[in-house]
Amino acid sequence: MTPSAYRLIDLGAARVAVNSPLNDFNAHLDLVYQHHGDGDPLSFADVRVSLLPSRGMRFWKGRVSLWSEATCPFEPYPMRSALPLFEWGSNWLLAQRLNAYLLLHAGVVARDDRALILPAAPGSGKSTLTCALHLAGWRFMSDEFGVLDPDSGNLLPLLKPAALKNRSIAIIGAHPQARLGPVFPGTRKGDVAHFVPLRDSIVERHRHARPRLVIFPRYRDGGTLKCTPLDAANTAMRLGLNSFNYRTLGAVGFDAVVRLARTTRAFELEYGDLSTAIAHIDTLFAEHA
Amino acid sequence: MTPPLSRELQLLLRALSEPLDTDSATWERLLRLARMTALHGRLAAANRDNPTVPAPVRRHLLSAERVCAFNNQMLRAELAALAALCDGSFPVLVLKGGAYALQNQRVGHGRFVSDVDLLVPREHLRTMEQGLRAAGWVPAQLDPYDERYYRDWSHETPPMRFPGRFLEVDLHHAITPVTGSLHFDPAPLFDASVPLADSPFRTLSAEDQVLHACVHCFQDGDLALRVREVVDIDGLVRAAATQHGFWTRLVGRAGQLGLQRPLWYGLHFAHAWMETPLPQSALTALPAPSALARRLMDRLVPLVMLPPDPDHPPPASVRVARLAMLARYHLQRMPPSMLLPHLARKATVRLRERFTHTPAQNAENQP
Repeated sequence: MTPSAYRLIDLGAARVAVNSPLNDFNAHLDLVYQHHGDGDPLSFADVRVSLLPSRGMRFWKGRVSLWSEATCPFEPYPMRSALPLFEWGSNWLLAQRLNAYLLLHAGVVARDDRALILPAAPGSGKSTLTCALHLAGWRFMSDEFGVLDPDSGNLLPLLKPAALKNRSIAIIGAHPQARLGPVFPGTRKGDVAHFVPLRDSIVERHRHARPRLVIFPRYRDGGTLKCTPLDAANTAMRLGLNSFNYRTLGAVGFDAVVRLARTTRAFELEYGDLSTAIAHIDTLFAEHA
Repeated sequence: MTPPLSRELQLLLRALSEPLDTDSATWERLLRLARMTALHGRLAAANRDNPTVPAPVRRHLLSAERVCAFNNQMLRAELAALAALCDGSFPVLVLKGGAYALQNQRVGHGRFVSDVDLLVPREHLRTMEQGLRAAGWVPAQLDPYDERYYRDWSHETPPMRFPGRFLEVDLHHAITPVTGSLHFDPAPLFDASVPLADSPFRTLSAEDQVLHACVHCFQDGDLALRVREVVDIDGLVRAAATQHGFWTRLVGRAGQLGLQRPLWYGLHFAHAWMETPLPQSALTALPAPSALARRLMDRLVPLVMLPPDPDHPPPASVRVARLAMLARYHLQRMPPSMLLPHLARKATVRLRERFTHTPAQNAENQP
């Protein structure tokens, strides 16, 4: 394995380099990172990992391990699930290392240079809504990490494929423009498939945006649309709660969420139907951003 | 002398104390080596005002600096809470990272701590432990065997944690395991201890701090990637060596406590890797290990302590060396008559876990 054997993927706010002898995994990467192009494998990578077949005990045969810096920080996955392991593992490593930024657990989409942030707890339908907004014409900036630069107050894109789970796979997959990677059945999160952001958004992966609107989405099966404005104090608190590194950043994190809460409008949005939610978000954005 | 270090490791060790000017590909390798050895906080501290650092590297150094600042704040909060338990009726010593932080020692800058180590006289151990429990610290849940191992054979109680907080508290009554070949009566440590400013705690004298770092580095537990302990020894020695008579006191103290061997190794490797300034008289005043022991240690210690190539799983030589050093540690820790049943039991437990274990358990925190 030489440094040139790595494939360097420029995600925007960070670069991930990955190396693997597994053909299926490399084909999956070709698919879900099809618009990213290949960066210079020797240039700086924020995360550099190898996906290797597990060795040693017979117990681990047929499994794949993620190696990072000569250690294997996670339990091996079944061989066919190398992509979910790479996606999850690289996200975990990015979350450890990108403390120059406030990392919100949020989807972020934009119109031109104005951004909409969708912070949410797991299971709120955040990824589904983010992808649906993107397919409805919004620029995709990120799904897992809302990357906020505390110095400029800007949001940075981090263009990773969005991990859709269970019912979302069919809902988003039904859209004529949607491109999804293979379905990985029966992972710990149920069925998972990766949504590939559209090419235009990936081309613009270095284009920052000003945060304008914050929507805390909550999907309720069969529920009607309910939109509640939030004051700045509540918004700041909820942003902190929906962040990976708010505590670690200390005063920097506090200042960042307060500034974000003061310079944006925020709403809680409960919805049971995607198209109604998107129409309402479009109206809110036109009014407030 | 020890085999020469790779250019990368030389650069890394130098960049821990002085600003480094290099290209971003080399920086990336150094960051990775530093993360493997938990030295990235130090790397960041030493290069904080270095204008030549490329932008993406600067972000990683800033990231490490922030994680380190958070770690330091947690440490200070824990120490502040523990201070309330010290009523002055017996000495409570803060060891290692906690002491370096309270002393504002340079060696503490950019140093991550994973636990707070306290040392109290053995006769006050139960009082201190009960005080901690009464105040809300909870001991780790151990099976009866491990509990007994700690209580009877170790030099510390099972680690305690305050629910909701990050750092464990390790309560020691000695700095060497009671069953180990280096065990000594810790009373002189208390006699020579020094008060810490603005706190009810005390800490080891400068010489005893060096000796403790050496004992910890070469006798205590898994030595894998422990190069940062050598970096600690270097920092402590550099800071204390300016005091008049330090070397004489250090060598004398090592003789008094029977810690000449770990001190010899500590100074030997600190000098070889960090160019720690030491008078030749200091090393020659210590009884040197046998030629065979020295050859073995010179071969094994670098393999075990220094990070291997970050792009590859550790080669067989490193895995064998780690195993050998682990065996050495166990033999020093307890006599073979105790060791064999102990290891047999540990192996059975591990094997059983292997078969009942669900893979990807640590994926639980996936967002």
